[in-house]
Amino acid sequence: MATRRRLVLSAAPPALSPGGYVARAYADHVTPATAQADLASSFEGGAWSIALSWRAARAVRALDGDPARFVDAAALLVPTTEGAQAMTMGAPGDPVEGVLWRADAERPLRIAAEGWGTVERQPAPPQWTATARWKDGFWYVTFRLVGWPALDRFRRVAVAVWQGAARERAGLKSVTAQWIRLS
Amino acid sequence: MTTTRTADAGGRQLAMVLDLNKCLGCHTCTIACKKLWNRDAGAAYAYWNNVETQPGQGYPRRWQETGGRTATGAVKRGEIPDLDADYGRAWTFNHEQVRAQVGAGAHKPWLRPDAPPTWGPNWDEDHGAGEHPGTNHYFYLPRLCNHCTHPACLDACPRRAITKRGEDGIVLVDQDRCHGYRFCVEACPYKKVFFDPERGVANKCIFCLPRIEEGVAPACARQCPGRLRFVGYLDDPEGPIWKLVEKWKVALPLHPEYGLGPNVFYVPPVGPVAFDRAGRLVDDAPRIPGALLESLFGSRVHEALRIVRDERARRRRGEASELMDLLIAYDWNASFRLPAGTREVL
Ligand code: SF4
Ligand code: SF4
Repeated sequence: MATRRRLVLSAAPPALSPGGYVARAYADHVTPATAQADLASSFEGGAWSIALSWRAARAVRALDGDPARFVDAAALLVPTTEGAQAMTMGAPGDPVEGVLWRADAERPLRIAAEGWGTVERQPAPPQWTATARWKDGFWYVTFRLVGWPALDRFRRVAVAVWQGAARERAGLKSVTAQWIRLS
Repeated sequence: MTTTRTADAGGRQLAMVLDLNKCLGCHTCTIACKKLWNRDAGAAYAYWNNVETQPGQGYPRRWQETGGRTATGAVKRGEIPDLDADYGRAWTFNHEQVRAQVGAGAHKPWLRPDAPPTWGPNWDEDHGAGEHPGTNHYFYLPRLCNHCTHPACLDACPRRAITKRGEDGIVLVDQDRCHGYRFCVEACPYKKVFFDPERGVANKCIFCLPRIEEGVAPACARQCPGRLRFVGYLDDPEGPIWKLVEKWKVALPLHPEYGLGPNVFYVPPVGPVAFDRAGRLVDDAPRIPGALLESLFGSRVHEALRIVRDERARRRRGEASELMDLLIAYDWNASFRLPAGTREVL
């Protein structure tokens, strides 16, 4: 069965960011750089296909040696317990898992977290892919995910999008506030 | 190695004192540091140590305006300096072309940068300010990470990738944890964290940690021909740092108003006196404006200058001065007092 959803994104609250700087320096970061995204998902033959698209007036695909540049990125988050929250990226004892696509990386990364600032990254399993295309001011990224027990079990995702052109990174991101149920 | 994330490590603190009255502006410190630690392609533009002319815009350009602290020490959003406008891209030269010209018998081959340079680590060197002749002035300000007691870089990192070591207060970036978010680059009001876009991680001065652990002072200090750098622990009453900072109170932190508790201290420059239209030296008319020094080192700078002047006068009268002996570096080895890993010998 396929799911098609238009998602409303909000700016992740900088107050959640660990340390004293980001929460204060970006207290005014309340408007999401990506206000909405489209999600289409299907589950066939044991494989998830999750397609995301969002408006990005300018694609930033590489740092190109520039220390002030940030690349476009998007992630899907999945709970591993009933109590895990998307907005906090989980909590100790309630971890979340995810997959991260970065415009400058050939392969997606698998992520795990138990709260903000705790993300651990590792290469995604070889059968996971992320194909991306930018056309006419929109990114189209399709994840193909096989053998992800947490996703198979909970069938829920949260979405995060980073606009490199707006220097978004880390907790400066547009997110879905709640889990989205995939049918 | 014991490390802590908290700013108040409660342990010992390594520190450095630089006597600005002796800096020649030769940049040996910068090169010593760069050659030793900082040669990766992605760090071509980065200088953990730089020497800039004051008054001047410094390196990176406008660093005093673009950091993450206000003049009262409050957090504000900082900027990541621009590669071309603020750091200055590392120059590359037309070596191949020149080689070909020489091979073809050219008598005056022109070696020049491939692209017109826009800024660099000593771009406004020796410009200074004031009216020539009479009040024109400048001095050199060598800068490095201050290994702050309350590091803004550490406070800014949501990854907890920056630590302050408990045993010596050295502030380090754990590049395995760093995800390249660069909040540290924004937040440091001294602009002494850099980002390596090739490797995607931040880097900064490590106070020559492997040398320190062998009892050897950092390369910038050891290589300084001006012999103006002192290295040791802040709480060591036998060492030069305690004497200059605590006992004689002539060494002051840069921009104390940022509130980070810098552990690099400067003996402010006395500088020459002005001369009048007739070319006579005017006593009590220092060329380097007190307001400039106060803007850099805080209001205690005037008292520090008075002490240095008084001790100079004492020496001139042939009297003993512990302070002058220390600053002159009669015994250069006494400028560095570190626990013996391998004792440093001249
Ligand atoms: S000078 Fe900057 S980089 Fe160094 S410890 Fe202080 S805040 Fe961190
Ligand atoms: S090596 Fe010493 S004298 Fe030369 S620029 Fe550096 S601090 Fe100044």
